[in-house]
Amino acid sequence: MKMVKFVSRVDSEKCTGDKRCEKACPSGAIKVVEKKAVVDEGKCVACGKCEDACRERALSLVPCPQPRFVMCDSSDVDPAVIKEVCRKAHLYPEQFVCACTGTLAAEAAAAIIKGAKDPEELAAMTGVRSGCGIYCTGALLRLFKAAGVKVPPSEDDKWYDLPLSVWDVPQKVAEEHPGYYLEEDKRVLFKDEVLDQL
Amino acid sequence: MIKQAVQPPECMESVYGSTPLMRAAYLPGMAAVGVRDLFPDIKQEIYLHGGNLAAIGKATGDALAGVDMSMIKPGDTVNILCSEHGFSIMGGEPYVEMLKAIWRVVRERTGNENLRLRVAAYRGYREADEVIEHYRLKEFFDGKVSGIGPWEKGVPIETEIGTLYGVARAYDADWFIHAYYDDPREIYFHRMIHRALKAFAMSYARYETRSVYHMSFGNRSGGFILKAIFDSPFVQERFAFACFLRFSPSGIIAVDADNDLYQIDRRVTINHLRDFGKMRELLAAIDECVAIWDGGRWGYYIHAGGVCFGVFINAKYDPFDLTNPAALSVFDAVDKYSGGPMLTVMQINPAIKAVVMNQSWPGIVIQDVPMLTPTIVVGREQAEMYVRDSANPFFMDFAVTAETLDAAVGFAQKVTGTDKLIVFDGSFGNVNCSPSLAQYLIDAAPEVNRRVEDKLFPMWLKQRGIDPAEV
Repeated sequence: MKMVKFVSRVDSEKCTGDKRCEKACPSGAIKVVEKKAVVDEGKCVACGKCEDACRERALSLVPCPQPRFVMCDSSDVDPAVIKEVCRKAHLYPEQFVCACTGTLAAEAAAAIIKGAKDPEELAAMTGVRSGCGIYCTGALLRLFKAAGVKVPPSEDDKWYDLPLSVWDVPQKVAEEHPGYYLEEDKRVLFKDEVLDQL
Repeated sequence: MIKQAVQPPECMESVYGSTPLMRAAYLPGMAAVGVRDLFPDIKQEIYLHGGNLAAIGKATGDALAGVDMSMIKPGDTVNILCSEHGFSIMGGEPYVEMLKAIWRVVRERTGNENLRLRVAAYRGYREADEVIEHYRLKEFFDGKVSGIGPWEKGVPIETEIGTLYGVARAYDADWFIHAYYDDPREIYFHRMIHRALKAFAMSYARYETRSVYHMSFGNRSGGFILKAIFDSPFVQERFAFACFLRFSPSGIIAVDADNDLYQIDRRVTINHLRDFGKMRELLAAIDECVAIWDGGRWGYYIHAGGVCFGVFINAKYDPFDLTNPAALSVFDAVDKYSGGPMLTVMQINPAIKAVVMNQSWPGIVIQDVPMLTPTIVVGREQAEMYVRDSANPFFMDFAVTAETLDAAVGFAQKVTGTDKLIVFDGSFGNVNCSPSLAQYLIDAAPEVNRRVEDKLFPMWLKQRGIDPAEV
């Protein structure tokens, strides 16, 4: 969930249509049409990355006339389904997956169950990836994989599908390298029995 | 032992942060205590902010004298990889001096003129350009300088545990030189398990790899990601050597270079556990204080006596003790999940009774700080930057604003009832603080020294497979 208080605006006089903003946008809100950036304000999550990326200073964040919440309502999704997706991803439903927006794994899982097909759609539905853009990525890709959604490749390097986690380390590798606590950390990060109690 | 506050390193002008109107060191009555007055056996610096940079150039030349560069042929392409944080330490000048010396020596020794400097950014698209301009790097490096960032085209790196992604332009050369530093940044993530390799899952890596390292592994097991990437054939085929600025809390103690990065890593580990172990333990012993973020770049990474604020904020844990499963609070919160709902990402060192933010860049998640402890932001310009900060959308819903640093500190002291102030302003060699805190640190240091020497240092070494008798 994110309260969006700003929206990206384009100065068409300055815009050269170089697509840096389109590539930087985490939620697919910007498309360059006829060499000019166009913002879909309904998708803008006010991350400011377009403003930062634009060499011509053609984009800027301006206050929204009416701030809006970006969130995925999970009340119409079966909690048991959310729980099982989270279990497969080794995440607790009420665990933060995006610290910047405070988005919980349950909300991100619900958005995927409701149809988000890639990280861009997930960002538009929940606001994730609109902060630092770094730390949430792995957990989100784990949720896609857990939900059985194959993330398509991004043609312009917006993402790479990398759901790797400590649970993917073969036991043999873990045993050969005890100094890294690979087996132990699985239990630190997630316990099935804890999830069962929820 | 208590002396006048020392001048902190200057803040680089940037679109990412406001300019402080006044530095906390210049508040009336502020004092300082020297790191080596607290712990006389902490290694002596060869360079401290404001010193003679020639010492860094000479130390780099001396260190590189023992490095094999025969693999670099005159016609090869070579990337010198450097990372943004190096430019924030002591104003960045010593790091720049080391980079220049590497450039000079490699050209002289190999006859190679295809050296390119790659400046790795944390997350901002303009970061590297600002650094390149501020230090006039294009002039020195013949224009062969460019920034790289985690948003760029990736390159798959096949490792023992699967494919990970580096930034393609970090590795787009026949050889690369790992030009790095070993200050105690993010101990709570790396736990002194391959500190020297951390850039392979951060500066030189795509978003996704950064996330896997930091969040999809624990902060002990994450060390295996660093090793897996560095040991990969892709990286090994290109790695020439590493050159490091080496630190103790007193300042830069050496330049270290080697063809064997694991040897540097071992030396870094031993030195950190002893010297930074003492300073970290000492700051962790503070019973109450107002912490002042006072310039540099992102707040977690600003130093006081060589220790980063991020380490202080997580100081309730011993990050060096590997029997402690989680040093970063977010993982601790997960572990304690069954004990109650997780309301915050962090659990802040309870000794921090208030935070005054005189200057700290937005852009990294810190909004739990004002949620959990009184936080006063100095200046409307800075407050407005936080209102607009997408990494901290709730920050200013919890923080308050003061017009001046004096007013902010006065308010913090009033609401907390403590006169102990500690300033994170980028200082090594000294801790700028109030006289009361200086005396507290002086009084506490002997016991901390004994505890680290007699108990903790040997334990930390053994946990990493290092025999204390060899050290």
